[in-house]
Amino acid sequence: MDPSRRRFLAVAGASASLALWPRLPSFAGALRGNDDVRFIVVLLRGGLDALHALPPVDDPDYARLRRDLAVTDALKLGGGFGLHPSLAFASQLYASKQFLPVVAIAPPYRGRSHFEAQDNVESGGDASAHLQTGWLSRTSAAMAGAEALAVASVAPLSARGPGHVRTWSPPFADDVDPMMLQRLQGLYASDRDLAPSFADAMQRSGDMGSSGALRLPQAMQAAATFMRANDGPRVAFVEDTGWDSHGGQAYQLKRKLGELDAGLRAFHDAAQSIWPKTVVAIVTEFGRTAAANGTDGTDHGTGGVAFLAGGAVRGGRIAGDWPGLSPSALFEGRDLHATTDLRAVFKGVLADHMGLDRGAIDRQVFPDSVGARPMTGLIA
Amino acid sequence: MTDDLKLASAYNRFGLGARPGDLDHATDPHAVLARQLSGDVGANAFSGLPASTDYLHREAVALAAARQNKRMRDDPGMSPMQDDAAPTPARQRRAGRGELREAVRAELDARYRHAATTPDGFAERLVRFWSNHFAVSLDKRPALLYAAPMEREAIRPNVFGHFDALLQAVASHPAMLRYLDNTRSVGDDSRIARRLSGKRELGLNENLAREILELHTLGVDGGYTQTDVTELARAITGWSTPAPREAIDSVPSTAFVFRPNAHEGGARRVLGRMYADSGVLQGRAILRDLAVHPATARHVSNKLARHFVADDPPKVVVDRMAQAWTRSGGALVDVYRALIDSPEAWAPDARKFRTPDDFLVAALRAMDASQPIARLQPVLTQLGEPAFTPRSPAGFPDVTTAWSGGDALFKRIQAAQRLASLPVTPDPLATARIALGAHLDDATATTLRRAESARSGLALLFASPAFQWRT
Repeated sequence: MDPSRRRFLAVAGASASLALWPRLPSFAGALRGNDDVRFIVVLLRGGLDALHALPPVDDPDYARLRRDLAVTDALKLGGGFGLHPSLAFASQLYASKQFLPVVAIAPPYRGRSHFEAQDNVESGGDASAHLQTGWLSRTSAAMAGAEALAVASVAPLSARGPGHVRTWSPPFADDVDPMMLQRLQGLYASDRDLAPSFADAMQRSGDMGSSGALRLPQAMQAAATFMRANDGPRVAFVEDTGWDSHGGQAYQLKRKLGELDAGLRAFHDAAQSIWPKTVVAIVTEFGRTAAANGTDGTDHGTGGVAFLAGGAVRGGRIAGDWPGLSPSALFEGRDLHATTDLRAVFKGVLADHMGLDRGAIDRQVFPDSVGARPMTGLIA
Repeated sequence: MTDDLKLASAYNRFGLGARPGDLDHATDPHAVLARQLSGDVGANAFSGLPASTDYLHREAVALAAARQNKRMRDDPGMSPMQDDAAPTPARQRRAGRGELREAVRAELDARYRHAATTPDGFAERLVRFWSNHFAVSLDKRPALLYAAPMEREAIRPNVFGHFDALLQAVASHPAMLRYLDNTRSVGDDSRIARRLSGKRELGLNENLAREILELHTLGVDGGYTQTDVTELARAITGWSTPAPREAIDSVPSTAFVFRPNAHEGGARRVLGRMYADSGVLQGRAILRDLAVHPATARHVSNKLARHFVADDPPKVVVDRMAQAWTRSGGALVDVYRALIDSPEAWAPDARKFRTPDDFLVAALRAMDASQPIARLQPVLTQLGEPAFTPRSPAGFPDVTTAWSGGDALFKRIQAAQRLASLPVTPDPLATARIALGAHLDDATATTLRRAESARSGLALLFASPAFQWRT
């Protein structure tokens, strides 16, 4: 079997298991806010280079800083920006006003550690908070326990906390002997740490699919398949790795951005009925240095980009304040200056799209974020 | 806590799990660990494997074959030979690639066979701790062949030495130099950069320097700045490996080369201290100071305590370890002693959730099975912890919540069934006594006794909550 077919089967397994997604009718009535909308966050781990994905083609400093690494065949968007040619589907969405880049954005963290920065994006706290729970989990809690989904084999920080967040990834092909689960039930019931996980595992005991690698397009298709169900998860989280482009960036990002574009298309195609009510937020932990380094790559920097997509987005334009790339405009002389707190975008979506009240957003979901006022006008 | 429970902890919490007979033959739990704190871990088990220098040579040959093949494809005048059996370049290239893949497989087989059979589980766990601390991923193609040799060549011989020697060995190993891009880092003011200025852009790459500070030594809150990162990066410019052209004719004599032409000369200031211009020795001197820095002592001791005792380790244990570190100038045996001499480390309620790799190795040990890992590698991949393939230089996570979600637990139950289908079927209850010792509880024992078959009993044991913990 060729690999692409195997991957297809993996996702076909995901759709087959849809009927087994546990129904939560009791929660539906209790939802605060708009209960038919969807919000999915895609975290690109490794620090996507914003200036490569969304090159500021009209900024005179761009070519100077990037030299050979400058993207010269960008798909023109207007407003001085272009999209990397691998993002062809995204540019179609842009043309139909369903794709919105937000420029010069970053979480509050200003160091250059991936892991700290990712934790900061996922926890939703300010830079010094070191919260042990994630804002997606707290969003689920704020929506009266509406269930959330994380497509990942290991629970990400965003999914940990008081809310109901399930993790899902393609299971082994093996069947599990139901008798065995029954016998294990009693044992797990008396283990304080593992009892809830086992209960969760039991619920998916019929949830069989073929095993297979989970790349971004498959993960996004699987997420859409779960989310489009009537009582499917309202909020979801998908992650991808491999964006740390210290060397050979042009080749690496051509491939990775192609995967991202395919992921967006896969989500769009699988989401169907919910696409008009959906916001997809594609984010990363930080940007990269404005100048190319010595190995045709870029190093860890500050200001990055976020992309919103979906039928609910007021797209077809560029959002955010662009500080420019002139030497005096750069942060610490080396990075794009971040002018918007990433949480402002999330908060804007939670308020105007998900219908969460401002108090819950400020106190519960994003504590210590008063300075990051919800960004307005993101939603159509 | 009785000595029976402590003995089980010596093998499980501190080791890789007990093998048949282990718990019967030992009496003093502390002595079980203390006697393992010397020697060269696994020296005999790995003596037959090629050195990194051999791999550098083989890789250069395979690369040359690939290049020649491409030239032939691009030149229509050179048609492939007609004779089917003739070694065309394409065939050579395939053979070369197959050989390299086979080499990685042989490395992993040896590593897991050793883990599954060694009597010195504590020593081996320490090796694996350091491998994950200095994480290198097979995902990065240029590092693929060297990740396992780094463990053999840089970590095993230094596990009971000073942290400085360990750090220096790792930071100058081809695996780390390639994984974190240092082989391509060139000083902006180096001879090469000046000679080639205007032609091809060559320059500094900070990746290795940053991870040394953030992950390997001080820790992210260790008080360093961006300037320290850049300065360390400059100091280790020129730290590299033999290039293919240097390794093609014969096996190179060393896997580490210092390239003065790529090195940025001049004094460097790191953490407020000046380091004179001394070529390769400059970076060595900085690493030596980082190795004994109080922030390093604290950061790494905390990680070790978290690995062995609990996700949130007792502060008093970490303090004792960090003090031993500072007092001894980073003598690792002193640090390990401070750990096992701490009563808190033996607390009856302390436990660590087995990572997928731990889970697999402990099951193999309890069953007295040493399957070639090739059969089991897909299991590790599905469970989220394929060998030497962490998703970042931070290594695999070491806390319960990262591995114990419902989906992960369900896959573990599936994996337990697979382990139970290996061609050894020991008695489940006897295996449970081996694996859990005095920690085997009545409910688990009863469940195993009622299993319909030996296989389903073994599957139940490996899927049971008791087996998921290193208690």
